[in-house]
Amino acid sequence: MSTLATQQQALLEALFAWPQQDAVRALEGYASGVGNTPGRGLKVYQANGHLLAERALRAAYPVLTQMLGDESFADLARAFWHAEPPLRGDVSQWGVALADFVRGNAQLQDWPYLPDVARSEWALHHAATAPDPTSDLATLALLTTEDPHTLGLALASGLVTLSSAWPLASLLLAHLEGTPSLAEVSEQLRLQQAQEVVIWRAGLQPRLRQASPGESDLLRALQSGVALGPAVDAAESLDFSQWLPLAVQTGLVLGAYCLSGQ
Amino acid sequence: MRPRSSRCKPATPNLFATMPPLTAVVCEPAKIEVGIGWRHPHYAALLQERPDLDFLEVHSENFFGAGGAALEVLERGRSSYPVSLHGVGLSLGSAVGLDPWHLDQLAALVQRVDPVRVSDHASFARGHFAGGAVHAADLLPLPFTPEALNVLCTNVQRVQDRLQRRFMVENLSAYLQWKPAQEDALPEFEFLNALARRTGCSLLVDVNNIYVNALNAQMAGLCADPLAACREWLNQIAPEAVAELHLAGHCRVSDGHGDIVIDDHGSRVCAEVWELYRHALSRFGAVPTLIEWDTDIPLLNTLLEEAAHARNIAEQVLELAA
Repeated sequence: MSTLATQQQALLEALFAWPQQDAVRALEGYASGVGNTPGRGLKVYQANGHLLAERALRAAYPVLTQMLGDESFADLARAFWHAEPPLRGDVSQWGVALADFVRGNAQLQDWPYLPDVARSEWALHHAATAPDPTSDLATLALLTTEDPHTLGLALASGLVTLSSAWPLASLLLAHLEGTPSLAEVSEQLRLQQAQEVVIWRAGLQPRLRQASPGESDLLRALQSGVALGPAVDAAESLDFSQWLPLAVQTGLVLGAYCLSGQ
Repeated sequence: MRPRSSRCKPATPNLFATMPPLTAVVCEPAKIEVGIGWRHPHYAALLQERPDLDFLEVHSENFFGAGGAALEVLERGRSSYPVSLHGVGLSLGSAVGLDPWHLDQLAALVQRVDPVRVSDHASFARGHFAGGAVHAADLLPLPFTPEALNVLCTNVQRVQDRLQRRFMVENLSAYLQWKPAQEDALPEFEFLNALARRTGCSLLVDVNNIYVNALNAQMAGLCADPLAACREWLNQIAPEAVAELHLAGHCRVSDGHGDIVIDDHGSRVCAEVWELYRHALSRFGAVPTLIEWDTDIPLLNTLLEEAAHARNIAEQVLELAA
């Protein structure tokens, strides 16, 4: 390894290793901090990292922040920073693994729905920068003239459906929009009501709501390239004729296309 | 003054045909371009007020997504102002090389925005940890050795080849010093001059960073006169390489770990940095100047006041030079 690579690795280890003492001592062979004490400069970089970790994850996980409280969330962010350091130079790309990290955290086992909350929040975060949707609603006329077994539906960018054993949509919406109330959510949690959520981008706005019965089946089938006819057949509990106008109105469906002409 | 940035016109016409033509010219002061760092709290206010600014600077990485509200805002800003893309994550000095994903994202953004300038720092963040490549999301200092210079030159050249444009590299405020002081280590200004000479890149001189480094060196007993050290630093930088100046605030931190000066971009530019800005202008001429403010961001008007102050100083210095 080159001298430069060795120096750089020593500094990265002093920033990411946990506990840090051994790595910091190892760095002393390569560098000294500026300021009036030898370790002061390194503390600047360590503190920057922790601050950035908190700020980046708070931006991506506002509900998780509310549920854990600022102090606990800051502890979680710092622990995650050391366990799963960023891989990219765009820190908004960092944090996809937080749901698994929460799931494996012994101190958070009493709140088993937190990993699902984290998964949903990452999907919302990701949807915010997904490609801008282009809708062509005139193509929906194909639904009246063509065999649905030859058609596909163009869906919103950032679209994700998630299933949870918990009232996931209620948990998120109660914190993001204030409805339902936290008392209602507590009751749903007590009853362990399972919910599915749909996440998508409507215009510039990431959206989330509870999925209608059968809606996730339909959307997953369409996303995997299944034609509209069999996709609707697979979603037995969905009333497609009622669902479609609302889906178009809320930017979930952007148009239709002939599968043969893709 | 740099002749290329001056608007010169002939003096009074020669009324005496028998006399040889006059060679003297009268130079009008060059126009300074002043911009501000455009951050999230000012997105709406700036688009609404459209203040008189010559350019906006944004952090490239904040606009790396394929779409969404941030890019929409940037494109609206771009329709009214030239934009300078300033990166914080390329990690130009990394011994493990650049992240191709990062360069792809930057290239796509450059194509989309057509910026007036594109820049990043003479720093590293990317390297090996726990068996893989990680990114520290910070501006970590490089040793000013020939080896680091080679790595930096290779990476900067790769960026310029990909972007098909001249790139700008900024000097750091550094909170670590590499040791042992390697015999072949260069002074920072020589390191940067060599980078510009070898790659053809330009230099972004952050005046506040130089001063922060000098203050910390003073605290460690390594610098008797920070202002004099900064003037000397500026005197040694190749003027033809300098393409932008940055001005920002800094703070002194004293806590249980010790005392240090940090380039936090969280306050007004201090008097000493304004003085150094005058010196830089007298050396480099009408170089585009940016007011940066990234923490404890105040009302937009405060940034505009700082920008107006920079413009006033520049006009005084450049008029004197003309």
